[in-house]
Amino acid sequence: MAAARLRLIAAVAIMAAWEALAASGLLFRDVVPSLWYIAKALAITLADPAFYRNLGVTSGEFLMAVSVGGLAGASAGLALGANRFLAAAYERWVHYLAPVPKIIFFPALLLAFGAGPGSKIAMGAISCFFPVAISVASGVRAVRPVLLNVGHGFRATTWQMATKIYLPAVREPLLNGLRLGFGVAAIGILLAETKLSKAGIGFLVMDSYRRFDMPGMYALLILVVLLVAAVNAALTRLNRN
Amino acid sequence: MAVPTLTVEHVTKRFGTTEFGVTAVEDFTFDVAEGEFVSVIGPSGCGKSTLFHIIGGLTGDYQGRVTVGGETVNGPHPAIGMVFQEESTFPWRNVIDNVAFPLELRGVSRAERLERALHYVTMVGLRGFEQRYPAELSGGMRQRVSIARTLAAQPKILLMDEPFASLDEQTRLLLGAKVTQIQQRLRQTTLLITHSLTEAVQLSDRIVVMTFRPGRVRRIVEVRLPRPRGDDILTSPEFGRYVAELWVDLREEANRGLDAAEHLAT
Repeated sequence: MAAARLRLIAAVAIMAAWEALAASGLLFRDVVPSLWYIAKALAITLADPAFYRNLGVTSGEFLMAVSVGGLAGASAGLALGANRFLAAAYERWVHYLAPVPKIIFFPALLLAFGAGPGSKIAMGAISCFFPVAISVASGVRAVRPVLLNVGHGFRATTWQMATKIYLPAVREPLLNGLRLGFGVAAIGILLAETKLSKAGIGFLVMDSYRRFDMPGMYALLILVVLLVAAVNAALTRLNRN
Repeated sequence: MAVPTLTVEHVTKRFGTTEFGVTAVEDFTFDVAEGEFVSVIGPSGCGKSTLFHIIGGLTGDYQGRVTVGGETVNGPHPAIGMVFQEESTFPWRNVIDNVAFPLELRGVSRAERLERALHYVTMVGLRGFEQRYPAELSGGMRQRVSIARTLAAQPKILLMDEPFASLDEQTRLLLGAKVTQIQQRLRQTTLLITHSLTEAVQLSDRIVVMTFRPGRVRRIVEVRLPRPRGDDILTSPEFGRYVAELWVDLREEANRGLDAAEHLAT
Protein backbone atom coordinates (compact mmCIF):
# COMPACT_ATOMS: atom_id res chain seq x y z
CA MET A 1 0.00 0.00 0.00
CA ALA A 2 2.79 2.37 0.98
CA ALA A 3 4.71 1.35 -2.15
CA ALA A 4 1.68 2.09 -4.34
CA ARG A 5 1.35 5.54 -2.75
CA LEU A 6 5.05 6.18 -3.30
CA ARG A 7 4.74 5.22 -6.96
CA LEU A 8 1.75 7.56 -7.33
CA ILE A 9 3.70 10.44 -5.75
CA ALA A 10 6.64 9.73 -8.08
CA ALA A 11 4.36 9.79 -11.13
CA VAL A 12 2.75 13.05 -10.05
CA ALA A 13 6.20 14.57 -9.43
CA ILE A 14 7.40 13.58 -12.91
CA MET A 15 4.27 15.00 -14.51
CA ALA A 16 4.69 18.23 -12.55
CA ALA A 17 8.32 18.50 -13.68
CA TRP A 18 7.26 17.86 -17.27
CA GLU A 19 4.57 20.52 -17.03
CA ALA A 20 7.02 23.00 -15.46
CA LEU A 21 9.51 22.34 -18.26
CA ALA A 22 6.79 22.86 -20.86
CA ALA A 23 5.73 26.15 -19.23
CA SER A 24 9.31 27.40 -18.75
CA GLY A 25 9.77 28.12 -22.44
CA LEU A 26 13.38 26.84 -22.25
CA LEU A 27 12.77 24.38 -25.08
CA PHE A 28 10.81 24.63 -28.30
CA ARG A 29 7.20 24.56 -27.30
CA ASP A 30 6.48 21.43 -29.33
CA VAL A 31 9.34 19.25 -28.05
CA VAL A 32 7.87 19.16 -24.57
CA PRO A 33 4.18 19.88 -25.07
CA SER A 34 1.96 20.52 -22.09
CA LEU A 35 0.26 17.46 -20.64
CA TRP A 36 -3.00 19.08 -21.55
CA TYR A 37 -2.15 18.83 -25.27
CA ILE A 38 -0.95 15.27 -24.89
CA ALA A 39 -4.20 14.31 -23.15
CA LYS A 40 -6.17 15.91 -25.95
CA ALA A 41 -4.08 14.06 -28.57
CA LEU A 42 -4.63 10.83 -26.64
CA ALA A 43 -8.39 11.34 -26.84
CA ILE A 44 -8.21 12.14 -30.54
CA THR A 45 -6.04 9.08 -31.21
CA LEU A 46 -8.34 6.78 -29.29
CA ALA A 47 -11.30 8.07 -31.28
CA ASP A 48 -9.54 7.69 -34.61
CA PRO A 49 -10.39 4.56 -36.60
CA ALA A 50 -7.00 4.84 -38.33
CA PHE A 51 -5.32 4.13 -34.99
CA TYR A 52 -7.23 0.87 -34.60
CA ARG A 53 -6.58 -0.11 -38.19
CA ASN A 54 -2.85 0.36 -37.68
CA LEU A 55 -2.98 -1.32 -34.29
CA GLY A 56 -4.62 -4.25 -36.05
CA VAL A 57 -1.82 -4.37 -38.61
CA THR A 58 0.88 -4.38 -35.93
CA SER A 59 -0.99 -6.91 -33.77
CA GLY A 60 -1.45 -9.19 -36.74
CA GLU A 61 2.23 -8.95 -37.59
CA PHE A 62 3.11 -9.61 -33.97
CA LEU A 63 0.90 -12.70 -33.69
CA MET A 64 2.24 -14.15 -36.92
CA ALA A 65 5.81 -13.38 -35.91
CA VAL A 66 5.63 -14.99 -32.47
CA SER A 67 3.77 -18.02 -33.85
CA VAL A 68 6.37 -18.61 -36.53
CA GLY A 69 9.38 -17.58 -34.45
CA GLY A 70 8.14 -19.28 -31.27
CA LEU A 71 7.33 -22.56 -32.99
CA ALA A 72 10.59 -22.57 -34.92
CA GLY A 73 12.53 -21.62 -31.78
CA ALA A 74 10.88 -24.30 -29.66
CA SER A 75 11.50 -26.98 -32.30
CA ALA A 76 15.09 -25.90 -32.79
CA GLY A 77 15.62 -25.80 -29.02
CA LEU A 78 14.22 -29.32 -28.60
CA ALA A 79 16.41 -30.63 -31.41
CA LEU A 80 19.54 -28.86 -30.18
CA GLY A 81 18.98 -29.92 -26.59
CA ALA A 82 18.18 -33.54 -27.35
CA ASN A 83 20.65 -34.23 -30.14
CA ARG A 84 24.33 -33.94 -29.36
CA PHE A 85 25.31 -33.97 -33.03
CA LEU A 86 23.02 -31.06 -33.92
CA ALA A 87 24.17 -29.17 -30.83
CA ALA A 88 27.82 -29.59 -31.82
CA ALA A 89 27.08 -28.44 -35.36
CA TYR A 90 24.75 -25.49 -34.76
CA GLU A 91 24.50 -24.37 -31.18
CA ARG A 92 27.58 -22.15 -31.28
CA TRP A 93 26.10 -20.28 -34.25
CA VAL A 94 22.82 -19.75 -32.49
CA HIS A 95 24.67 -18.25 -29.54
CA TYR A 96 26.76 -16.03 -31.82
CA LEU A 97 23.75 -14.77 -33.75
CA ALA A 98 21.51 -14.25 -30.73
CA PRO A 99 22.93 -10.89 -29.55
CA VAL A 100 23.26 -9.46 -33.09
CA PRO A 101 20.76 -6.59 -33.53
CA LYS A 102 18.32 -8.17 -35.97
CA ILE A 103 17.51 -4.81 -37.58
CA ILE A 104 20.68 -5.12 -39.69
CA PHE A 105 18.93 -7.96 -41.53
CA PHE A 106 16.00 -5.68 -42.36
CA PRO A 107 17.25 -4.59 -45.81
CA ALA A 108 17.66 -8.22 -46.78
CA LEU A 109 14.17 -9.00 -45.44
CA LEU A 110 12.75 -6.06 -47.41
CA LEU A 111 14.19 -7.56 -50.57
CA ALA A 112 12.86 -10.99 -49.72
CA PHE A 113 9.40 -10.11 -48.38
CA GLY A 114 8.66 -6.60 -49.64
CA ALA A 115 7.79 -3.39 -47.78
CA GLY A 116 4.45 -4.79 -46.51
CA PRO A 117 3.72 -6.85 -43.40
CA GLY A 118 5.86 -9.76 -44.68
CA SER A 119 9.19 -8.13 -43.83
CA LYS A 120 7.88 -7.02 -40.39
CA ILE A 121 6.70 -10.53 -39.60
CA ALA A 122 10.07 -11.90 -40.65
CA MET A 123 11.86 -9.36 -38.43
CA GLY A 124 9.71 -10.30 -35.44
CA ALA A 125 10.03 -14.02 -36.10
CA ILE A 126 13.82 -13.89 -36.33
CA SER A 127 13.97 -11.82 -33.15
CA CYS A 128 11.66 -14.23 -31.29
CA PHE A 129 13.46 -17.36 -32.50
CA PHE A 130 16.74 -16.92 -30.62
CA PRO A 131 15.71 -16.47 -26.99
CA VAL A 132 13.17 -19.29 -27.33
CA ALA A 133 15.65 -21.68 -28.96
CA ILE A 134 18.40 -20.99 -26.42
CA SER A 135 16.10 -21.21 -23.42
CA VAL A 136 14.47 -24.45 -24.58
CA ALA A 137 17.80 -26.06 -25.50
CA SER A 138 19.23 -25.52 -22.03
CA GLY A 139 15.90 -26.60 -20.51
CA VAL A 140 16.02 -29.87 -22.43
CA ARG A 141 19.48 -30.58 -21.06
CA ALA A 142 18.18 -30.09 -17.55
CA VAL A 143 15.49 -32.77 -17.94
CA ARG A 144 16.21 -35.59 -15.48
CA PRO A 145 17.68 -38.54 -17.42
CA VAL A 146 15.54 -41.05 -15.55
CA LEU A 147 12.40 -39.52 -17.06
CA LEU A 148 13.86 -40.06 -20.51
CA ASN A 149 14.71 -43.64 -19.54
CA VAL A 150 11.09 -44.16 -18.49
CA GLY A 151 10.02 -43.02 -21.96
CA HIS A 152 12.57 -45.22 -23.72
CA GLY A 153 11.68 -48.13 -21.46
CA PHE A 154 8.06 -47.87 -22.57
CA ARG A 155 9.33 -47.64 -26.13
CA ALA A 156 8.05 -44.13 -26.81
CA THR A 157 8.56 -42.93 -30.38
CA THR A 158 10.66 -39.83 -31.06
CA TRP A 159 7.47 -37.81 -31.51
CA GLN A 160 6.05 -39.13 -28.24
CA MET A 161 9.31 -38.37 -26.44
CA ALA A 162 9.15 -34.80 -27.76
CA THR A 163 5.50 -34.12 -27.01
CA LYS A 164 4.91 -36.17 -23.86
CA ILE A 165 8.22 -35.83 -22.02
CA TYR A 166 10.48 -33.08 -23.34
CA LEU A 167 7.78 -30.50 -23.97
CA PRO A 168 6.02 -30.71 -20.59
CA ALA A 169 9.39 -30.98 -18.85
CA VAL A 170 10.62 -27.73 -20.44
CA ARG A 171 7.38 -25.82 -19.94
CA GLU A 172 8.99 -23.26 -17.65
CA PRO A 173 12.09 -22.46 -19.76
CA LEU A 174 9.81 -22.40 -22.82
CA LEU A 175 7.51 -19.81 -21.25
CA ASN A 176 10.49 -17.75 -20.09
CA GLY A 177 11.97 -17.90 -23.59
CA LEU A 178 8.64 -16.92 -25.11
CA ARG A 179 8.41 -13.94 -22.78
CA LEU A 180 11.80 -12.70 -23.87
CA GLY A 181 10.90 -13.59 -27.45
CA PHE A 182 7.65 -11.58 -27.34
CA GLY A 183 9.57 -8.55 -26.15
CA VAL A 184 12.23 -8.65 -28.84
CA ALA A 185 9.63 -9.49 -31.51
CA ALA A 186 7.70 -6.36 -30.57
CA ILE A 187 10.91 -4.34 -30.69
CA GLY A 188 11.83 -5.80 -34.08
CA ILE A 189 8.42 -5.17 -35.60
CA LEU A 190 8.05 -1.61 -34.32
CA LEU A 191 11.60 -0.79 -35.34
CA ALA A 192 11.00 -2.18 -38.82
CA GLU A 193 7.75 -0.20 -39.10
CA THR A 194 9.57 3.04 -38.27
CA LYS A 195 12.14 2.31 -40.98
CA LEU A 196 10.05 1.54 -44.00
CA SER A 197 6.35 0.77 -43.97
CA LYS A 198 2.92 1.91 -44.98
CA ALA A 199 1.00 0.86 -41.90
CA GLY A 200 1.32 -0.08 -38.26
CA ILE A 201 1.91 1.67 -34.95
CA GLY A 202 5.57 2.29 -35.76
CA PHE A 203 4.49 3.91 -39.01
CA LEU A 204 2.02 6.14 -37.12
CA VAL A 205 4.74 7.25 -34.70
CA MET A 206 7.04 8.21 -37.56
CA ASP A 207 4.14 9.82 -39.41
CA SER A 208 3.27 12.10 -36.48
CA TYR A 209 6.96 12.91 -36.12
CA ARG A 210 7.18 13.88 -39.77
CA ARG A 211 4.10 16.09 -39.40
CA PHE A 212 5.70 17.51 -36.24
CA ASP A 213 2.63 16.43 -34.27
CA MET A 214 4.48 15.99 -30.99
CA PRO A 215 1.44 15.61 -28.74
CA GLY A 216 0.13 12.91 -31.11
CA MET A 217 3.48 11.15 -31.06
CA TYR A 218 3.63 11.16 -27.27
CA ALA A 219 0.08 9.89 -27.12
CA LEU A 220 1.09 6.94 -29.32
CA LEU A 221 4.15 6.24 -27.19
CA ILE A 222 2.01 6.17 -24.05
CA LEU A 223 -0.40 3.75 -25.71
CA VAL A 224 2.43 1.45 -26.83
CA VAL A 225 3.91 1.37 -23.32
CA LEU A 226 0.49 0.55 -21.85
CA LEU A 227 -0.10 -2.21 -24.41
CA VAL A 228 3.29 -3.81 -23.83
CA ALA A 229 2.81 -3.63 -20.06
CA ALA A 230 -0.61 -5.30 -20.41
CA VAL A 231 0.79 -8.12 -22.56
CA ASN A 232 3.62 -8.62 -20.10
CA ALA A 233 1.23 -8.77 -17.15
CA ALA A 234 -0.89 -11.35 -18.98
CA LEU A 235 2.19 -13.49 -19.65
CA THR A 236 3.30 -13.27 -16.03
CA ARG A 237 -0.08 -14.55 -14.96
CA LEU A 238 0.12 -17.36 -17.53
CA ASN A 239 3.55 -18.29 -16.21
CA ARG A 240 2.30 -18.54 -12.67
CA ASN A 241 -0.56 -20.92 -13.45
CA MET B 1 10.89 -75.46 -13.22
CA ALA B 2 9.39 -73.93 -16.29
CA VAL B 3 11.47 -72.78 -19.21
CA PRO B 4 13.45 -69.62 -18.51
CA THR B 5 11.68 -66.60 -19.90
CA LEU B 6 14.65 -64.29 -19.32
CA THR B 7 18.24 -65.37 -19.77
CA VAL B 8 21.44 -63.43 -19.26
CA GLU B 9 24.30 -65.20 -20.99
CA HIS B 10 27.96 -64.36 -20.41
CA VAL B 11 27.30 -60.65 -20.26
CA THR B 12 30.40 -58.48 -19.90
CA LYS B 13 30.37 -54.70 -19.87
CA ARG B 14 33.39 -52.46 -19.72
CA PHE B 15 33.42 -48.71 -19.34
CA GLY B 16 36.26 -46.57 -20.63
CA THR B 17 39.27 -47.62 -22.70
CA THR B 18 41.09 -50.95 -22.49
CA GLU B 19 43.90 -49.21 -20.63
CA PHE B 20 41.92 -47.11 -18.20
CA GLY B 21 38.63 -48.86 -17.88
CA VAL B 22 36.39 -50.50 -15.35
CA THR B 23 34.79 -53.84 -15.94
CA ALA B 24 31.38 -53.30 -14.39
CA VAL B 25 29.93 -56.72 -15.15
CA GLU B 26 31.90 -59.81 -16.15
CA ASP B 27 30.73 -63.10 -17.67
CA PHE B 28 27.38 -62.78 -15.92
CA THR B 29 25.02 -65.69 -16.47
CA PHE B 30 21.68 -66.50 -14.86
CA ASP B 31 18.05 -66.88 -15.83
CA VAL B 32 14.56 -66.21 -14.57
CA ALA B 33 11.73 -68.70 -15.05
CA GLU B 34 8.17 -67.75 -15.75
CA GLY B 35 6.34 -66.66 -12.60
CA GLU B 36 9.58 -66.66 -10.65
CA PHE B 37 10.86 -63.87 -8.40
CA VAL B 38 14.63 -63.53 -8.65
CA SER B 39 16.79 -60.98 -6.88
CA VAL B 40 20.28 -59.90 -7.80
CA ILE B 41 22.05 -58.75 -4.67
CA GLY B 42 25.43 -57.12 -4.30
CA PRO B 43 27.29 -54.34 -2.51
CA SER B 44 26.95 -50.81 -3.79
CA GLY B 45 29.18 -50.09 -6.76
CA CYS B 46 29.28 -53.69 -7.92
CA GLY B 47 27.62 -53.05 -11.25
CA LYS B 48 24.02 -53.86 -10.33
CA SER B 49 22.61 -50.81 -12.03
CA THR B 50 24.69 -51.52 -15.14
CA LEU B 51 23.13 -54.98 -15.27
CA PHE B 52 19.68 -53.43 -14.86
CA HIS B 53 20.25 -51.05 -17.74
CA ILE B 54 21.61 -53.83 -19.96
CA ILE B 55 18.63 -56.12 -19.32
CA GLY B 56 16.29 -53.15 -19.78
CA GLY B 57 17.86 -52.50 -23.17
CA LEU B 58 18.97 -48.99 -22.21
CA THR B 59 22.69 -49.78 -22.37
CA GLY B 60 24.19 -51.27 -25.47
CA ASP B 61 27.72 -52.10 -26.44
CA TYR B 62 28.30 -55.11 -24.19
CA GLN B 63 29.42 -58.66 -24.81
CA GLY B 64 27.16 -61.62 -24.29
CA ARG B 65 23.46 -61.93 -24.79
CA VAL B 66 20.19 -61.20 -23.06
CA THR B 67 17.11 -63.04 -24.29
CA VAL B 68 13.41 -62.75 -23.54
CA GLY B 69 11.34 -65.75 -24.57
CA GLY B 70 14.26 -66.88 -26.72
CA GLU B 71 14.46 -63.54 -28.49
CA THR B 72 17.66 -61.51 -28.20
CA VAL B 73 17.13 -58.18 -26.47
CA ASN B 74 18.19 -55.27 -28.60
CA GLY B 75 16.90 -52.07 -27.09
CA PRO B 76 13.95 -51.86 -24.69
CA HIS B 77 11.91 -55.03 -25.07
CA PRO B 78 8.10 -54.87 -24.95
CA ALA B 79 7.98 -57.81 -22.54
CA ILE B 80 10.09 -56.01 -19.93
CA GLY B 81 8.73 -53.32 -17.65
CA MET B 82 11.22 -51.29 -15.67
CA VAL B 83 10.94 -49.58 -12.29
CA PHE B 84 13.80 -47.21 -11.61
CA GLN B 85 15.72 -46.52 -8.46
CA GLU B 86 15.39 -42.75 -8.64
CA GLU B 87 12.22 -40.79 -8.38
CA SER B 88 10.70 -41.25 -11.83
CA THR B 89 7.10 -40.05 -11.76
CA PHE B 90 6.24 -37.24 -14.17
CA PRO B 91 5.74 -34.17 -11.97
CA TRP B 92 3.38 -32.59 -14.52
CA ARG B 93 0.96 -35.54 -14.50
CA ASN B 94 -1.36 -36.51 -11.68
CA VAL B 95 -1.35 -40.06 -10.31
CA ILE B 96 -3.87 -41.54 -12.73
CA ASP B 97 -2.27 -39.95 -15.79
CA ASN B 98 1.16 -41.10 -14.64
CA VAL B 99 -0.08 -44.67 -14.36
CA ALA B 100 -1.92 -44.42 -17.68
CA PHE B 101 1.22 -43.19 -19.44
CA PRO B 102 2.28 -46.49 -21.11
CA LEU B 103 -1.30 -47.06 -22.29
CA GLU B 104 -1.41 -43.54 -23.72
CA LEU B 105 1.74 -44.32 -25.71
CA ARG B 106 -0.01 -47.32 -27.19
CA GLY B 107 -2.99 -45.24 -28.24
CA VAL B 108 -5.50 -46.80 -25.83
CA SER B 109 -8.62 -44.60 -25.67
CA ARG B 110 -8.84 -42.23 -22.72
CA ALA B 111 -11.81 -43.92 -21.08
CA GLU B 112 -10.24 -47.35 -21.29
CA ARG B 113 -6.80 -46.33 -20.14
CA LEU B 114 -8.19 -44.46 -17.13
CA GLU B 115 -10.19 -47.53 -16.17
CA ARG B 116 -7.19 -49.81 -16.51
CA ALA B 117 -4.92 -47.35 -14.72
CA LEU B 118 -7.38 -47.11 -11.85
CA HIS B 119 -7.14 -50.87 -11.44
CA TYR B 120 -3.39 -50.64 -10.83
CA VAL B 121 -3.69 -47.50 -8.71
CA THR B 122 -6.03 -49.49 -6.48
CA MET B 123 -3.66 -52.44 -6.48
CA VAL B 124 -0.81 -50.38 -5.04
CA GLY B 125 -3.18 -48.86 -2.48
CA LEU B 126 -3.46 -45.36 -3.88
CA ARG B 127 -7.21 -45.30 -4.49
CA GLY B 128 -8.44 -41.81 -3.65
CA PHE B 129 -5.18 -40.18 -4.72
CA GLU B 130 -5.80 -40.37 -8.48
CA GLN B 131 -6.02 -36.62 -8.93
CA ARG B 132 -3.01 -35.77 -6.76
CA TYR B 133 0.27 -34.65 -8.25
CA PRO B 134 3.59 -36.31 -7.30
CA ALA B 135 4.69 -33.21 -5.37
CA GLU B 136 1.75 -33.80 -3.02
CA LEU B 137 2.76 -37.41 -2.26
CA SER B 138 5.36 -39.00 0.00
CA GLY B 139 8.39 -40.75 -1.47
CA GLY B 140 6.87 -44.16 -0.79
CA MET B 141 3.63 -43.21 -2.53
CA ARG B 142 5.51 -41.86 -5.53
CA GLN B 143 7.43 -45.10 -5.84
CA ARG B 144 4.12 -46.98 -5.73
CA VAL B 145 2.92 -44.76 -8.58
CA SER B 146 6.02 -45.79 -10.57
CA ILE B 147 5.35 -49.46 -9.85
CA ALA B 148 1.67 -49.11 -10.83
CA ARG B 149 2.69 -47.33 -14.02
CA THR B 150 5.00 -50.17 -14.99
CA LEU B 151 2.37 -52.80 -14.08
CA ALA B 152 -0.19 -50.96 -16.22
CA ALA B 153 1.95 -51.77 -19.24
CA GLN B 154 1.36 -55.43 -18.29
CA PRO B 155 4.94 -56.52 -18.87
CA LYS B 156 5.73 -60.24 -18.91
CA ILE B 157 8.78 -59.46 -16.81
CA LEU B 158 8.94 -56.82 -14.11
CA LEU B 159 12.46 -55.46 -13.75
CA MET B 160 13.13 -53.33 -10.69
CA ASP B 161 16.31 -51.48 -9.71
CA GLU B 162 16.36 -50.93 -5.96
CA PRO B 163 12.89 -49.43 -6.05
CA PHE B 164 12.83 -49.04 -2.27
CA ALA B 165 16.38 -47.77 -1.80
CA SER B 166 15.42 -44.18 -1.10
CA LEU B 167 12.69 -45.08 1.37
CA ASP B 168 12.80 -45.42 5.13
CA GLU B 169 12.90 -48.87 6.72
CA GLN B 170 9.22 -49.04 7.68
CA THR B 171 7.95 -47.90 4.33
CA ARG B 172 10.31 -50.32 2.69
CA LEU B 173 8.98 -53.30 4.66
CA LEU B 174 5.37 -52.34 4.01
CA LEU B 175 6.02 -51.80 0.34
CA GLY B 176 7.90 -55.09 0.18
CA ALA B 177 4.86 -56.88 1.58
CA LYS B 178 2.68 -55.07 -0.96
CA VAL B 179 4.92 -56.12 -3.83
CA THR B 180 4.91 -59.77 -2.69
CA GLN B 181 1.13 -59.62 -2.53
CA ILE B 182 0.88 -58.19 -6.04
CA GLN B 183 3.47 -60.59 -7.39
CA GLN B 184 1.56 -63.56 -5.99
CA ARG B 185 -1.69 -62.28 -7.38
CA LEU B 186 -0.42 -61.55 -10.86
CA ARG B 187 2.05 -64.45 -10.84
CA GLN B 188 4.34 -61.75 -12.10
CA THR B 189 7.78 -62.80 -13.28
CA THR B 190 10.05 -60.38 -11.46
CA LEU B 191 13.73 -59.53 -11.38
CA LEU B 192 14.71 -57.29 -8.50
CA ILE B 193 18.08 -55.60 -8.21
CA THR B 194 18.82 -54.77 -4.58
CA HIS B 195 21.46 -54.36 -1.92
CA SER B 196 19.08 -55.22 0.89
CA LEU B 197 19.39 -58.73 2.32
CA THR B 198 16.03 -58.75 4.07
CA GLU B 199 14.31 -57.45 0.98
CA ALA B 200 15.89 -60.16 -1.17
CA VAL B 201 15.03 -63.00 1.20
CA GLN B 202 11.52 -61.70 1.88
CA LEU B 203 10.62 -61.49 -1.78
CA SER B 204 12.66 -63.98 -3.79
CA ASP B 205 12.50 -67.54 -5.01
CA ARG B 206 16.15 -67.33 -5.92
CA ILE B 207 18.90 -64.87 -5.11
CA VAL B 208 21.88 -64.20 -7.33
CA VAL B 209 24.78 -62.93 -5.22
CA MET B 210 27.09 -60.61 -7.09
CA THR B 211 30.79 -60.03 -6.46
CA PHE B 212 32.30 -56.58 -6.11
CA ARG B 213 33.90 -55.18 -9.24
CA PRO B 214 34.02 -56.79 -11.64
CA GLY B 215 30.47 -57.96 -10.98
CA ARG B 216 30.36 -61.71 -11.39
CA VAL B 217 27.93 -64.33 -10.16
CA ARG B 218 29.27 -65.46 -6.81
CA ARG B 219 26.49 -67.82 -5.91
CA ILE B 220 22.83 -68.49 -6.63
CA VAL B 221 20.77 -69.25 -3.52
CA GLU B 222 17.37 -70.85 -3.63
CA VAL B 223 15.02 -69.50 -0.97
CA ARG B 224 12.77 -72.33 0.19
CA LEU B 225 10.43 -70.33 2.36
CA PRO B 226 6.71 -71.01 2.13
CA ARG B 227 4.43 -68.66 0.24
CA PRO B 228 2.44 -66.54 0.66
CA ARG B 229 4.95 -64.70 2.80
CA GLY B 230 3.46 -62.27 5.25
CA ASP B 231 5.19 -60.00 7.72
CA ASP B 232 5.53 -62.92 10.15
CA ILE B 233 8.13 -64.46 7.85
CA LEU B 234 10.55 -61.69 8.84
CA THR B 235 10.81 -63.02 12.39
CA SER B 236 10.99 -66.74 11.57
CA PRO B 237 14.26 -68.60 12.27
CA GLU B 238 14.51 -69.83 8.66
CA PHE B 239 14.38 -66.26 7.44
CA GLY B 240 17.16 -65.31 9.82
CA ARG B 241 19.23 -68.28 8.67
CA TYR B 242 19.00 -67.20 5.01
CA VAL B 243 19.90 -63.63 5.86
CA ALA B 244 22.88 -64.74 7.96
CA GLU B 245 24.09 -67.13 5.28
CA LEU B 246 23.88 -64.49 2.58
CA TRP B 247 25.53 -61.92 4.77
CA VAL B 248 28.67 -64.09 4.94
CA ASP B 249 28.93 -63.83 1.14
CA LEU B 250 27.92 -60.25 0.93
CA ARG B 251 30.15 -59.04 3.77
CA GLU B 252 33.21 -60.27 1.96
CA GLU B 253 32.21 -58.43 -1.20
CA ALA B 254 31.19 -55.30 0.65
CA ASN B 255 34.56 -55.29 2.41
CA ARG B 256 36.32 -55.45 -0.93
CA GLY B 257 34.23 -52.47 -1.96
CA LEU B 258 35.27 -50.56 1.15
CA ASP B 259 38.93 -51.43 0.59
CA ALA B 260 38.71 -50.20 -2.96
CA ALA B 261 37.18 -46.95 -1.77
CA GLU B 262 39.94 -46.47 0.83
CA HIS B 263 42.55 -47.28 -1.74
CA LEU B 264 41.15 -44.52 -3.93
CA ALA B 265 41.05 -42.10 -1.02
CA THR B 266 44.74 -42.52 -0.14
